[in-house]
Amino acid sequence: MPGAKDIAETRSEEGSTGFPDFGDSIDPPTFEQILEMDDDEDEREFSKSIVYGFFEQAEGTFTKMETSLANGDLAQLSSLGHFLKGSSATLGLTKVKDSCEKIQHFGAKKDETGTVDEADDQVCLQRIKDTLVDVKAEYSEAEKLLKKFYHDPS
Amino acid sequence: MLEDPSYESVVRWGNEGDSFVVLENEKFTKTILPKHFKHSNFASFVRQLNKYDFHKVRQNNEENGQSPYGPGAWEFKHPEFKANNKDSLDNIRRKAPAPRKQAQGGDEVLATQQMDLVNTQLVATQQQLQQLQERYNELSIHHSMLLQELIGIQKTVVNHEHVMQNVMSFLHSVDARQRRDSRIGGNPFAQGPGPGALAGNGPVDTPAQQLQFDDEPASPLQNASKLLNETNADILLNIRNLEQMNEMQMRINGTLTTPPPDALRNGVTPTSHPASSAQALAFSKANNDLGDIVYPVGQTNGIDPMYSEHINNIPYPMPKDADMNDPRKQFAEGRKKSTQVDPGWIRPPQILLVEDDPTCRRIGSKFLYSFRCAIDSALDGLEAVNKMNAGSKYDLVLMDIIMPNLDGVSACHLIRQFDSTPIIAMTSNIRSDDISMYFQHGMNDVLPKPFTKDGLLHVLEKHLGHLKKVPEGIEALGQAPGAGVQSISQGSTRQSLKDEDSPGKSPATSSWQSPSQYSAVSTAANSLPDEYMQTMRTAYGMDGSVQHPGGLQYPQAQMPMNAARQQGHRRQASELGSGDEMGNDPKRQRMFIPHGNPAMHTMPRSGPG
Repeated sequence: MPGAKDIAETRSEEGSTGFPDFGDSIDPPTFEQILEMDDDEDEREFSKSIVYGFFEQAEGTFTKMETSLANGDLAQLSSLGHFLKGSSATLGLTKVKDSCEKIQHFGAKKDETGTVDEADDQVCLQRIKDTLVDVKAEYSEAEKLLKKFYHDPS
Repeated sequence: MLEDPSYESVVRWGNEGDSFVVLENEKFTKTILPKHFKHSNFASFVRQLNKYDFHKVRQNNEENGQSPYGPGAWEFKHPEFKANNKDSLDNIRRKAPAPRKQAQGGDEVLATQQMDLVNTQLVATQQQLQQLQERYNELSIHHSMLLQELIGIQKTVVNHEHVMQNVMSFLHSVDARQRRDSRIGGNPFAQGPGPGALAGNGPVDTPAQQLQFDDEPASPLQNASKLLNETNADILLNIRNLEQMNEMQMRINGTLTTPPPDALRNGVTPTSHPASSAQALAFSKANNDLGDIVYPVGQTNGIDPMYSEHINNIPYPMPKDADMNDPRKQFAEGRKKSTQVDPGWIRPPQILLVEDDPTCRRIGSKFLYSFRCAIDSALDGLEAVNKMNAGSKYDLVLMDIIMPNLDGVSACHLIRQFDSTPIIAMTSNIRSDDISMYFQHGMNDVLPKPFTKDGLLHVLEKHLGHLKKVPEGIEALGQAPGAGVQSISQGSTRQSLKDEDSPGKSPATSSWQSPSQYSAVSTAANSLPDEYMQTMRTAYGMDGSVQHPGGLQYPQAQMPMNAARQQGHRRQASELGSGDEMGNDPKRQRMFIPHGNPAMHTMPRSGPG
């Protein structure tokens, strides 16, 4: 698990107590099957590196989205939406995933369900702009919960 | 020579142009053999042909078994022997001499030859099947035509009968009138006992009179009636014949299409049926390729691989038991949440994971790793195509669809130009038109994203069934004790062939050679001391080789090559596997010793042939 070991140092001494309640931010079964992959339930090295890797990935993607939004690059936005959709779905971050899917559709000049075409680029960009605000908020919430789960004070 | 019209009636090309047919043995022996070949008798000619890998196309069903070339015809076939392709004649060569000696050497060449042989047999069998199918179709057409004709005739007969009856009733009335007339006119026929009766005239006739009365004038009429009745009976007879014919037809078809269940059982019961391995092989191969289509019962008798009940008849404990005894497995189960789900591969499947998203890639890898797969990954379609094009062999490819540089569908399309490894689309786009598009471009399945552990495992088990250990385990059990050197070398080399091109094969291939194994069991199982059985069982229980029962398969002394192969596998496994896997290695080596001995021991008794 390269690149993620440094983060693992921040773990707390306390052992985790069963499966935490993440509310509706995180889909329990999906996240749990990743937790199951941990060799050690106290250290949670694997899942932690995955989750923190995802944090980096998500933040990087948000930055790229801002740039693409400024450039009006809808195709790129769609592709970035798809990209983040995949990893957030795999981790069970349901809300983030849904918003990313919307961005993917808007970027492809569709409505948020991906079924109706939207000809106006500006409408699409505006929708992405709004959704990006939503998704960042959703992400922050999930991040907070996850960091708490991993006893990360930061 | 085959094209010479003057020989047409004796020897000529087969109908398909891929075989030649000797129509009349005697003439062939007398005229052609001395003239064109240096042989004086037919048998030695046939032997010579066999040495050049020509094979007689067998007529496989005695009841129905007339070849299209007539009875007593011998059809010979060689894959390179074609009427329209003289160039390929150079490929027909004398086979390497004395396959039996080679067999004892346990050489791979032999197995390749045997594969060829089996393939030729397969082709022959398939052709026979096709011929039978054609013949069957022809016969059914004839049959229905006959039936129609018969029904037509029946109708005509019935009509005739009606006409006759009409005529008869008319005649009766005419006759009655005549008699009345004649009696009135003092008919000499009416020789009644008393004159009073004559005067009585009609209703008051005495019985005696009645008798004579009936007797006499009706004689021509009665004959006619009799005849009519007979024709009636004839019709009945006809119907019966028809039914009989029908039944016969059904019976013949029945034997062609479905063997009676007891025949199957016979093949299955391992103790009673030492089927010759060649037959069993040809049979199972054909069966595999043809699925549940017709196969002949007569000469080829064996186990239907589709028919799974025989598994329960194996006189050995299933490897499952061994599973339970495997301490490591128990250990894994003992853990609170098992990260080591062992699907039981005979070797770690090689999986290529093509995924641009690092999170998905890592989780996917982790899952695959927990399923004891060997994982390689590619970041996009282009890398995947390059890897496969460079000759990397995988058992399965898991392919994301939307990726930079080259998307999964295009990558799959490209890979399909040179490779048939199963490719699974991993995607969240699972609308039906998306999915049909994936399949169109050569994808084998779809794994919806976000994938779950269970979903992934399911796909692995579905597409890597040929790497599952259960059937192989049975095979190993069957082979080690009983089969002699030949059968071991056969099995193992075939095994290695199979391993090399395993991707893309259906799961069924894993058990295709099983019939010969079972027959091997049959000969040896009974003579084996219980002690040995015990050894086998404990061997399975104690050493950690449950994932690699192949390692047990070949006594090392006899099969150094295969031992090396197996070690190759083991090395892969230990690279990936945990430490205890390594620790088990020396133990496993030792296991060969008790294992090899009984095999050697029983060999003389149950050796080949």
